[in-house]
Amino acid sequence: MSEQTLITVKDLSVSFDGTPAVKNISFTVQAGKVLALVGESGSGKSVTARSLLGLSGGTVTASTLDICGHDARSLSDRAWQKIRGNTLSLILQDALMALDPLRPVGREINDGLKEHTALKSAERKQRVLEVLKSVRMPEPDVRAKQRSTELSGGMRQRALIAQALVGNPQVVIADEATTALDSQLTALVLSQLRALKQQGRGILMISHDLAQVAHLADDIAVMRHGEIVESGPTQQILEHPQHDYTRKLLRAVPSSVPRFTALSDLGAEETTSPARKIQDSEQHSPALSVKDLSKSFGKHLAVSSVSFELPRGKTLGIVGESGSGKTTTARMVLGLEKPDSGTVELLGERFSPSTASQRQNLREQMGAIYQNPLGSFDPRYTVGQLLTDALSRGKSKRASEYRKPITQLLEQVELSADLLARNPRELSGGQRQRLAIARALAPKPSVLVLDEPVSALDVSIQATVLDLLDRIQLETGTSYLFISHDLSVIEHMSDTVAVMHQGKLIEHGDTASIFGSPQREYTQKLLSAMPRLR
Amino acid sequence: MNTLAWVGRKVGGALVVLWLVASAIFIAIRLIPGDPAEAIMGGPGSQASAQALAAARAEYALDQPVITQYLLYLGKLATFDFGTSYSLKQPVTQVMGEVLPNTLWLSLMALAAAWLLALCFSALAMRAGRIGSQVGNLLEIIAAAVPHFWLGAVLIMLFSSALGWLPAVDNGTGHGLVLPILTLALPLAGFLTQLMRDSLSEAMGSQFALAARARGESRLKLFWRHGLRHAALPALSLTGWAFSSLLSGAVVVEAIFARPGLGRSLLSAVLARDIPMVTGIALFSALVYIVVMAISEGIERMINPAGESR
Amino acid sequence: MSRTAKICCLLVIGLWLLMALAPSVLAPGDPLAINPTQAFAKPGLAHFFGTDESGRDIYTRVIHGAGDSLAIGLAATALGMGLAIVLGTIAALSPRWLDEIILRILEALYAIPSLLMALLIIAFTGPGVGPAIVAVGLSTAPGYARLVRSQIRSLKNSEMLEAATVLGRGTWRKSRNHLIPNALKPLLALVTLGIGQAVIWAAALSFLGLGTPPPAPEWGAMLSAGRTYLHLAWWMSLFPGLAIVAVAVSATLIGRALGGKVKSL
Repeated sequence: MSEQTLITVKDLSVSFDGTPAVKNISFTVQAGKVLALVGESGSGKSVTARSLLGLSGGTVTASTLDICGHDARSLSDRAWQKIRGNTLSLILQDALMALDPLRPVGREINDGLKEHTALKSAERKQRVLEVLKSVRMPEPDVRAKQRSTELSGGMRQRALIAQALVGNPQVVIADEATTALDSQLTALVLSQLRALKQQGRGILMISHDLAQVAHLADDIAVMRHGEIVESGPTQQILEHPQHDYTRKLLRAVPSSVPRFTALSDLGAEETTSPARKIQDSEQHSPALSVKDLSKSFGKHLAVSSVSFELPRGKTLGIVGESGSGKTTTARMVLGLEKPDSGTVELLGERFSPSTASQRQNLREQMGAIYQNPLGSFDPRYTVGQLLTDALSRGKSKRASEYRKPITQLLEQVELSADLLARNPRELSGGQRQRLAIARALAPKPSVLVLDEPVSALDVSIQATVLDLLDRIQLETGTSYLFISHDLSVIEHMSDTVAVMHQGKLIEHGDTASIFGSPQREYTQKLLSAMPRLR
Repeated sequence: MNTLAWVGRKVGGALVVLWLVASAIFIAIRLIPGDPAEAIMGGPGSQASAQALAAARAEYALDQPVITQYLLYLGKLATFDFGTSYSLKQPVTQVMGEVLPNTLWLSLMALAAAWLLALCFSALAMRAGRIGSQVGNLLEIIAAAVPHFWLGAVLIMLFSSALGWLPAVDNGTGHGLVLPILTLALPLAGFLTQLMRDSLSEAMGSQFALAARARGESRLKLFWRHGLRHAALPALSLTGWAFSSLLSGAVVVEAIFARPGLGRSLLSAVLARDIPMVTGIALFSALVYIVVMAISEGIERMINPAGESR
Repeated sequence: MSRTAKICCLLVIGLWLLMALAPSVLAPGDPLAINPTQAFAKPGLAHFFGTDESGRDIYTRVIHGAGDSLAIGLAATALGMGLAIVLGTIAALSPRWLDEIILRILEALYAIPSLLMALLIIAFTGPGVGPAIVAVGLSTAPGYARLVRSQIRSLKNSEMLEAATVLGRGTWRKSRNHLIPNALKPLLALVTLGIGQAVIWAAALSFLGLGTPPPAPEWGAMLSAGRTYLHLAWWMSLFPGLAIVAVAVSATLIGRALGGKVKSL
């Protein structure tokens, strides 16, 4: 098969006000092939994608920038507009944000045709429906008239792909198109992209997660600090990575990595778990015991008769898609939502249903970590004040009185003491999550409830946070209720796993058996959609 | 929520609000120390004749128990009977019917003018550089802070006294309306521009704008197809408030430009302490506010059906 | 807030305070002293802003008027905001049915345009400075109350308070450490924006002859007097108005610097 090169980039550099964001990178995109650009946020991969569309907003230089026969270094605004959407198009990360919430999706798709064809209105409508059918949108004529906010997650993704395809482009750029989607939606997008590849289009895929691209990409280019540090055929990159950074990214992927095996350099020391503090569970009541928990909101049954036990010093992973009831379960366990029926016992004592004063002395035994830690911090507090507040039980804000325990906490979560005077807003995502962990650890809880604690983080940062959580569990014997939509994270972190679907706990068992031989059809479907490296 | 249920909810809510306003006024009249009949007839200073007081007592059934008075009062309001203005010796409804069209017309024209000005300025501001937008920003703040009663005077001094282009008092031609409309519209326009510019720049920097550009849309088309809607939405949701502030402004503007209208009738009624007239106008403007609110929410629903309905 | 912005805000506030508390420093003359021979003098070196129909110096009157105008604005805002904080807090913290009732009442009050509401109140009380303060305060209260309510509501349901609950903080600690300080901060900006508005409303009432009576050097009353001579002596209307605009603009700028949004008024 003769390979047709669609995009040739040589020595591409992009800078903003003199600050370089992309430095001398070169790659090609070929018809019927997928090239993946992989790197952390800030590595310049999105800027690269936008500069191929002439939308980077920075100063672009290159020795060659050929897009399907157009020299993109010297295109007028009008010429760019002819290429965009027609020769190459863009699929952005979040379908909710990438489609105008005030316009029906059919019109968004129609706009692409208006720009690039001379079709009449009726013909365009026909074509919009065809495109929607081609991405398997259910009831395309109804959906075309709805706005993105009225569609389900899956339909929204289909509409987003349809608006990129309507101009029949030769090249499609997918910028983090699968990031933050649950596994079913990820599988949907990946299968759509695969279909595009089979139609002979060239695809440039951008992601921070090697596992997401491993099965689709023909070639991978790894980017860091604006440079391509390594590139080559997918198999070669995955099996014989040359560059340290590539190895780091590969190692950070948690799927099929056994518990307590470090994903990053930070948690590298321990391989086995000799020091794991687990009290004999025969003698003690479980850390957390949930019986028949149910909750409905109006007519909607959010959680239905969920029961599980969390043994001391272990991790129970709860996995499910968005809307499966896992967050409501977590909120009931934390005593933030009153259950309609059922009980929660913490260390053998009744925790919920109960009154605030009754559970007051049990409160400190349970901590919580959220997906977005910033929202859980008082915006007026500095890092030091947040920790002092936690240590002093809200009675003091003067960090000087608690210097020693604060230093200990910071060491425990591997944060520098220089950050004490900063506001959490100035910290990076990973640092914020560490701070949240430090604060939750301050009262020395027996149980931590972690609701999607790493979902907003890049894979490489996620690896360091997961390693940290592992180490804390080894050192302190804290039990984790770990909630995530991400199967690979759950697989790596959990001793036992519970699968939730439509408010019910449908399967429950130790991690190896759930991931090795799932019994329920739904679990099997989830697992087959899971992106894996190995 | 379907449209019928929505309309039902709106009408129900409006009735509750009107009932509350009416009740508050009823209570307020009874709270004034002394004879309520005297209060209705302009307070102790007006020295109403015994005959007039007796007529007022009969009209408001003041010899009946309070609860009967209240029910009678509500019954009258339900049939749009706001009582008789004692200073004009005419039914309040009739007086309002004569002056209302003037005020509504003035307010609507001012609202339209403010929207037009705000849209133009927001579109212009998009193209402005750093310094340009700073200056624009300051101008908006100043415009929004200028009181109607002073702006009217300045406009008269400038366009009528100094330049002689436009009449200060309506002379029967349409020209007399220009200055009053400008007086009302400029502060509102300054306010709306601030809102529109914020949401416009947010929309133009959003992910869907990037997606639209990646489909090949020019900046101009992006503005027409996406920017305009997003700019209009927050301003639209404030239409009820804007109209209500225009009615406030109309009181002043009608006084300055010597125009007959609801505001001027209200002012003379307040000076004469003509309670039936004053309460009638207050109730009526509450009704106008509710109607305008409902219309603007209806338009909002059309633009953004997924928007949360409280 | 940046250092420069802070200094500018403090300077502006200082200037207004100086005008309000010690007007004689800037304008040593008597604002009420008449001098018929000097009536309708144009602005010049002798009279910076000119004189009015009785020969009173307008510059002196504008400076001396700051005290009354600002005091009325402050008092009205304090009244309105105090009422709003009480009503808004009760609504936000009370059960759904009570919240719904208070919300309806606020909506009813909000339905009457501010100036109309003020006029309605004056119709019952009669004109004067006291009634003007009450009228402006009461007519601005419903708008503020709705903001206070939604502010506290969103804080009450915030992850920040949930996190504090999980950490074991009781209601008292949560309110003292997080809810109240975080609710107060945007209110401060709102109060600043509100003072500007209240000065305008109070001046409007005086302008209509329902607030401060002439010949007191109040800006609205001065404008009202100037209206009669609009074609003859433009300076009588220009300068008091400029003073009102200056107060309103500085209030807006300071309010914005404090993080207030225009949307909130």
